[in-house]
Amino acid sequence: MRRYGPAALLLLTGGAVLRITLFGDLYLRYVQAGLRPYLIVSGVALVLLGVVTAVLHHRPPGPHEDGPHEDGDHEDGDHGDGDHGDGGRGDGGHGGGARGGDGDHELGDHEGGDRAEDGVHRGGGGHEGHSHGPAGPRVAWLLTLPALALLLFPPPALGSYSAGREAAQRAAQGVGSFPALPAGNPVELTVAEFSSRAIYDSGRSLSGRTVRMTGFVTHGDDGTWYVTRLLVTCCAADATTGKVEIRDADDDVLPADTWVTVTGTWRPKGSLGSDAAWPPALDAATVTRVKQPADPYEKA
Amino acid sequence: MQNQRTVADGLRVVVRASVYAVLGGAALVAIATVVSVLGPLLALDLYTPPVAAWWTVFTAVAVQGVPFLLLGTVVSAAIGAFVPDRVFRRLLPRNPALAVPVAGLAGVVLPGCECASVPVAGSLMRRGVAPAAALAFLLSAPAINPVVLVATSIAFPGQPEMVLARLLASLGTAVVMGWLWARFGKEKWLRLPGRGAASAAATGPRAFLTGLQHDFLHAGGFLVLGAAAAATFNIAVPRSVLDLFTGSPWLAVPLLAVLAVVLCVCSEADAFVAASLSAFPPTARLAFMVVGPMVDLKLLALQAGTFGRSFAVRFASSTWVVAVAASVLVGWWLL
Repeated sequence: MRRYGPAALLLLTGGAVLRITLFGDLYLRYVQAGLRPYLIVSGVALVLLGVVTAVLHHRPPGPHEDGPHEDGDHEDGDHGDGDHGDGGRGDGGHGGGARGGDGDHELGDHEGGDRAEDGVHRGGGGHEGHSHGPAGPRVAWLLTLPALALLLFPPPALGSYSAGREAAQRAAQGVGSFPALPAGNPVELTVAEFSSRAIYDSGRSLSGRTVRMTGFVTHGDDGTWYVTRLLVTCCAADATTGKVEIRDADDDVLPADTWVTVTGTWRPKGSLGSDAAWPPALDAATVTRVKQPADPYEKA
Repeated sequence: MQNQRTVADGLRVVVRASVYAVLGGAALVAIATVVSVLGPLLALDLYTPPVAAWWTVFTAVAVQGVPFLLLGTVVSAAIGAFVPDRVFRRLLPRNPALAVPVAGLAGVVLPGCECASVPVAGSLMRRGVAPAAALAFLLSAPAINPVVLVATSIAFPGQPEMVLARLLASLGTAVVMGWLWARFGKEKWLRLPGRGAASAAATGPRAFLTGLQHDFLHAGGFLVLGAAAAATFNIAVPRSVLDLFTGSPWLAVPLLAVLAVVLCVCSEADAFVAASLSAFPPTARLAFMVVGPMVDLKLLALQAGTFGRSFAVRFASSTWVVAVAASVLVGWWLL
């Protein structure tokens, strides 16, 4: 079990990464689309590394390795990662070797032996186990937390809770003219694009156009509701909020986090670039419930 | 002596294995029971929006870190296994005072975020590079590589001075920290990266694989620890409290510098976050981008794991101070 611990961890981590990237779109809940190829490569590499590690640990080190080192390897494989005393000795000696051994093997090994005592001392010297090198790989078991979470019950995409917690942010930019909107009626826009055009476009490209946006429902204080979308640059930890106030004739209240597609026209308010212009508003003609899109976030 | 130890070890392994088997079995039974019987009820009660958001952010930081961490550990294992010491001796000036800026500038070549640079710096030290130079590289690599600089210029359109300021302040901090270490650093603070296997002295493919496996698992564990810390702060500290501090630049700079530490935004994304903090003065946002790639909770965990805790605490706190000072100076000059 312990012998194959590293291999199992690598397989588990690699498997979790592959499960959310290769077998589905779940990764989009956590990171943005551009990371997918790197994640797939990492997942495959981790699985391969896990297999190779298992094989290497199964087979004893080859005869080309010299004696003392073989010993060190053995120690690591069998009980280096949990055992204070032995792990400490192995690693202390090893660290010393790296520090002192300037190419000279003989010298390096001696130094290693001397420092080994040091390592044991420090190992018992009241350091917390997990921050200490010799016991280091024990910390690797923490990898099981996110890996199992991803494999068994992938955490949901961030929603209205996160959107409500932080004041929605506007992209920092100045008033100016925007490129012409693409053709189409209605024209498909992201919440972020609609917001920046509504607030900053001196050419008022939105006026007279019917637009369509998709997002989830959040509620304001006074009965207003918004179509909201989180903007993610790198991963969900940097999510910021974009939202559009929806004015519609309909009275029924949709619960928060319901995904909807709204079609309507821009209702100008405030002067361009001012705080009053924000959040932008939309006179909605139709509001339809939709399934959560594969990518729950917009790219910031 | 050797035999006794082996027997004792064998016994210990057997005892431990049986204890684990019993504990693990009991845990499995308990989990199975809870999941099958109480699961649906309990899950609904415990899985409140904040908890769900915590898990999402936690997994997101971990997932995001995996490719970069793997890149970093591949590079570091390759350095350890295939690059002879003399290469670095030839590349870097002998004098540490000169080696530091050279190593700082060399940070340009490692594309990626901060997770990648910690294992690489560790393996540089193992290969005999002066710690001061390796540390300068550690600090500068995630901050001044082309990917990050391009991201910064996209996040601050029409403000090339922000990119320049970030480059100068980050490089300055890295070099100053390297010099500070060369002058005041003590060897004993630094627990040089220990790798259980024989790979530090050994070379070749096998050493590469053993080193890669060990480094990745080791650093991965600390990445998870850092992700948990980042998620906790992300959920616990609403960003709206920041609005209280936007008025005074004297408060704004340290505030955003602290925010950079607790938010642990990846260095490739932090420019966008900084850009969105539009209520703050430019110098404070610069400080956010300079501190973030050098000091944050995730990095602190990684550094503590790689170089030891007493090093990580000293190094991170002094880096924070130097980074803030560099941002203020450069910001005052350029922005």
